[in-house]
Amino acid sequence: MQPLANITPLKPAPRAGAIKVGNVGQVFKTSTQDVVALSDISLEVKPGRFVVLVGPSGCGKSTLLMMMAGLRQQTSGTILINDAPIPEPDPNRVGVVFQEASLFPWLTAEENVEFPLALRGVAKAERRAKAEDALKLVGLEGFGKRHPHELSGGMKQRVSIARGLVQDPPVLLMDEPFAALDEQTRMTMGDELLRIWAATGKTVVFVTHSLTEAVYLADEVIVMSARPGRIVDQLTIPLPRPRTYEMLSGDTFGTLRDRIWRHIRKSA
Amino acid sequence: MSSTTLRRLIVISLILLWEVLPRAGLIPELFLPSLSSTLAAGWNEAGEYGHALAVTLYEVAISMVFACGGGILAGAIVGSLPGPRILIMPMISSLYAVPLVILYPVFTVWLGIGSESKIAFASIYGFLPTMLATAAGIQTIDPQLVLAARSMGATLSQRLIRVIIPAAIPTVLSGLRVGGALVIVGVVVSEMLISSAGIGYLISRYRTILDSQHVFAGVLLVLAMAIAFNAAIKWIERKASIWQTGTRAGQRAAEDIPVTAIQPAT
Repeated sequence: MQPLANITPLKPAPRAGAIKVGNVGQVFKTSTQDVVALSDISLEVKPGRFVVLVGPSGCGKSTLLMMMAGLRQQTSGTILINDAPIPEPDPNRVGVVFQEASLFPWLTAEENVEFPLALRGVAKAERRAKAEDALKLVGLEGFGKRHPHELSGGMKQRVSIARGLVQDPPVLLMDEPFAALDEQTRMTMGDELLRIWAATGKTVVFVTHSLTEAVYLADEVIVMSARPGRIVDQLTIPLPRPRTYEMLSGDTFGTLRDRIWRHIRKSA
Repeated sequence: MSSTTLRRLIVISLILLWEVLPRAGLIPELFLPSLSSTLAAGWNEAGEYGHALAVTLYEVAISMVFACGGGILAGAIVGSLPGPRILIMPMISSLYAVPLVILYPVFTVWLGIGSESKIAFASIYGFLPTMLATAAGIQTIDPQLVLAARSMGATLSQRLIRVIIPAAIPTVLSGLRVGGALVIVGVVVSEMLISSAGIGYLISRYRTILDSQHVFAGVLLVLAMAIAFNAAIKWIERKASIWQTGTRAGQRAAEDIPVTAIQPAT
């Protein structure tokens, strides 16, 4: 499979994507009280690593991801992407993949992938070429002319990933991207994501509810507690790559998943 | 047999019954004159009906601009800004339940019995549903779409033009369908009540002298107008069908469109 290396970014972004989160807190002000959503979060993601955030519902893991994307500002602390703060979204540094609903239904798959380039006024031919490369990378060659409603859930999510990668950002943030998929598609998409990740060398931060998915995909799993969200554990996954289906039933896998589950059960 | 053929058969048999039943004497001509005599009556007074149609179409066209243009504009503002929404929406919604036709006599006092009072009444009559549908359409836009656009660096105006407006099109169209139909109703009804011109006025006048053939000729004209309006809306919907499919509002609207029309132009 062809890597994205032949897609030149508009600004030459550093290839490596490092994320530093220092003492980040988030407080939501409501009319009656202040709700502490995140408290004193510090973590570091080294370039090219695959990091998964897990935690009970409402622990603020998606909020943390949105802050890394520049879509939301933290109340306190610092977030650095490649040693620079991210006060607003910067698609040259960070690509974001949401749940499947975020494709524009009135655009074709390739127009969806071209969308971030079109916003910047990139010429049509160059846009098309980059979109084709990105679609090829996610295994959707020849599906560019279809609209989202003509694609399966898994294919839509591939388009989403292609859209996140089209500007070749060093960091890819994924907010429960496979949550709406059925079990089989989810497994296949996990393998596909690992293949794309290996081919591109991106830094990936992935939010999920699924403990199996977390252990299966990650170099490192970060476990968060319920509100106020804080980091309660950080596990390095020693399983070799490429990950295979057989590992799911192994002892190492089970032990790691149990350890995460005990944290989550305690705080949920 | 497909439902389309069945529908056509039903329409054809209704037309046939309209001709046959009065001719056979099963229905008195005063209640329902036969189709051919209705057409003949209309044809004989073609000048009068033509003039009436021109008046009515003029009133409908102006009212459409006010009702649909104003409704979409007001709906977009009310739908996207929470302040006006909280203030205005409850008022509009309760106003919607009031039979607005009670206001028509007031309009004739203000604006006279000419076209102005019809336009004012029909505009308000069609404005409310268009505005409510547009406001609802803007509000039901998936916030994830806007968030995704923001994550790709879209500015406020890019978000409006490239995301919010295209995403609102299906609901705006369904609002136009209801609002536009109500404009026609509003114009014809007000012409029937107090007026000196237009198809509604002709229907009303011929009814008082029990000239059923001429009454039904007018009814046919209004029917033709409604069918033409429906065809126009369908044409617009087909043009926008790519927008519609894939959104929840669109899937309902798309059921009325032949399957071939919703295939993308490849």
